[in-house]
Amino acid sequence: MQATFRALTDSLVPSTRRIGYESPINITDMGVHEYLIYGLDHYIAIQEQLHHITLPLAYPTAIMLDEAATQLVNTGRAQASPQIQFPGGGMFSRLSREDRIQTLSALENLAFDLYLLPSPFQNNGGLIKHVIDALNRFAMFGYYSEWPAYGTTRLYPPDDRRLEFFPWGWQQVGYPGVSLGYRDFRGMLIEYEEVKAKEVD
Amino acid sequence: MKTDPDVIVIGAGGGGPVIAKELGELGIRVLVLEAGPWYGNKNWPNPNENRGEEKESSNPNDLDGALYRKQITRLENDMNDFVSGKFRWGSADRRRGPWYRNIPDPTILWQTAGIGGGTIHYYANSLRAFPHAIDNEWPINYADLIPYYEKVEKTLPVEFAPTTSKEALFYYAAEQSGFSLNKTLDVTSSGYRPQPNAILPPNEHLMDPNYSMEEISHMEGCTLSGHCGQGCPYGPTYEKMAKRSTNVSYVPLAMKTGNVTFRPNTFVTKVLTENDVKRGKRAVGIQVRDTWTGETEELRAKVVVMAAGCIETPRLWLNSELPHNPWVGRGLTNHYMDMVTGTFDEETLTEIIGSPSINPFVGHTSGARLDYPGLGMIENIGESPGISAQTLFAFSEYGYNSLGESNQEMWESRGRLVGSELEEAMKGYRRTLTLSVITDDEVQFHNRVELDPHVKDEHGAIPLVHYTPSEKSKMRREQLVKIATDMLRKAGAKEIHRSDLPPNYYIHLQSTMRMGYVVDTSCEAYQVERLYIADNSADYNSLGGPNPTLTTQALATRTAEHLANKYF
Repeated sequence: MQATFRALTDSLVPSTRRIGYESPINITDMGVHEYLIYGLDHYIAIQEQLHHITLPLAYPTAIMLDEAATQLVNTGRAQASPQIQFPGGGMFSRLSREDRIQTLSALENLAFDLYLLPSPFQNNGGLIKHVIDALNRFAMFGYYSEWPAYGTTRLYPPDDRRLEFFPWGWQQVGYPGVSLGYRDFRGMLIEYEEVKAKEVD
Repeated sequence: MKTDPDVIVIGAGGGGPVIAKELGELGIRVLVLEAGPWYGNKNWPNPNENRGEEKESSNPNDLDGALYRKQITRLENDMNDFVSGKFRWGSADRRRGPWYRNIPDPTILWQTAGIGGGTIHYYANSLRAFPHAIDNEWPINYADLIPYYEKVEKTLPVEFAPTTSKEALFYYAAEQSGFSLNKTLDVTSSGYRPQPNAILPPNEHLMDPNYSMEEISHMEGCTLSGHCGQGCPYGPTYEKMAKRSTNVSYVPLAMKTGNVTFRPNTFVTKVLTENDVKRGKRAVGIQVRDTWTGETEELRAKVVVMAAGCIETPRLWLNSELPHNPWVGRGLTNHYMDMVTGTFDEETLTEIIGSPSINPFVGHTSGARLDYPGLGMIENIGESPGISAQTLFAFSEYGYNSLGESNQEMWESRGRLVGSELEEAMKGYRRTLTLSVITDDEVQFHNRVELDPHVKDEHGAIPLVHYTPSEKSKMRREQLVKIATDMLRKAGAKEIHRSDLPPNYYIHLQSTMRMGYVVDTSCEAYQVERLYIADNSADYNSLGGPNPTLTTQALATRTAEHLANKYF
């Protein structure tokens, strides 16, 4: 499952980062795939008779990606590589980046046999579309927010996490991070009292 | 509260605290129940970790600005993560998942449980409805609303947004496209203007280097920190924070009346009614569940006000098995939004605004707007990088840009960006101006909140939400996207990206318990006496495009008068 999510984030977010003269940061180091797994496994909480349960979605999602990839390969819409880039992964992780995106696209367009998917996705087009979209959003929010910078505490309960360094994503785009304020006041174009007085006239 | 309150208000978001404060000032005793946590209250020093020793708070001395600043970290993942953020639709305990809604489509539904509700993450845009969307449409007139608009504008208070780089560029773009400045609060023609925002004007010393930013952040007034969406903890005290979410404005005012108690971590699961032989059904109380302990109890009052929002208010009606009304949960609108982002080069920017970058994260998150009655509106948005990437480049009904048609006429890219395309787009982040398109969205019966017949959570059957835009809404959105694109192009943007957002993007939810269908003109339910509504769900329509909060707050102020006159 880890390999499938590594292959997924590898196709969605920028792959390696070089900031200044430091050695390149691999996206696996950023752990965005673990962010996705956490998000999916905490996404749906429901009541089953007397028990309140959380429905883990990460594992069935990985199976779904592999199943869809297999269908694409079998129908000649994608090609599997003989080289193993993500050890332990299934069919999805053996596709090129472009074909992985094709797979996601086919899934959200429901362009394959939904009967072959695992529960809770089997014949459940709405949930498939919802989750495929979430994969994209989670990957980008995981990558460009401060989440990777929680470092060794990333997967701790939210209130126990501590920032260990300045977030890579923020550094990359030039976001200065948490701010007390900025001295960029260029005046007021109009003011409430002035406008209200004018309306009374 | 040791004895039964006079009025129970369900939800402490944009509307609940307003009606509570107004009733409290009239000497009516109010209990407000809120499903989420309370940030900045000494009774809950660790609101996400444990239940705390107290159950409720009514003393304004419990409010603590320093504690609020510590809890509101302004980090986008810590604050805004939909699954585990402090501002999410879920219980105070972030180790648990959010409360599930079944929306079988690509979806962002941005709601927050907590004292302040959606206003703790909102951008504080506080404008009036377009008069044309009220007059001859709603069962009440625009003129009926004006005194209440004025009262809320004074109380929050509302002021036009200051200009920073991104607003300066927005105004330039609007001028280049042939629009002129509209100096008004009541919009009847198209034009641009600063957003009327519920944000205190910048501190007078903001530009004075003799004052450190640390000092200024503890003084009154906006610091232009750009953290509207992450909660704004800047100001001398809790009730003087610069962004006027209801938790720092109406909640302290309500507490100061001595008649209002707020109880967080309490989910209302049922409205209780009794049958009166002569007068039919009437509300007599509610059933609640403590989100930490799971304990349930019944509370009684003379009047019940539902202010739980456009999803939960109809859900609560349906789960309470209140009388059938075909319009309960129906007519959902969401301003069918889109985003268009222009990236500029340094030379162009230096020429127009005198600096080589825009820095979208500076200033009010949304400080400038273009009103276009008949179509809707366009506003600027400058969010932090993670939220920007997620909304602009990950969320689209178009699919992946790389799989789309190669020769787009209007935009250099459209839909989702991945890999190196995404990297390139985000590299230009500091030189981007994002325009949000917000459509005058037509009410349709088939857009709805209903109960999921198969799935329950600890509060009963969960909501199932369905929305597709009408042909008219689609056409209006396309026209607004064209105008936004033209503004960016005429201002000199080098690259323009259209996100092409999916229809199920819920920032402004409205009109699921419409006035004239579910509630009367005083916002009392037709079929249940003593049951009122004080949230966006009572809106007859989507106001012509304007952000809904101010209208909800004006209506809640008005409803308080009607309610007090009738029952107290």
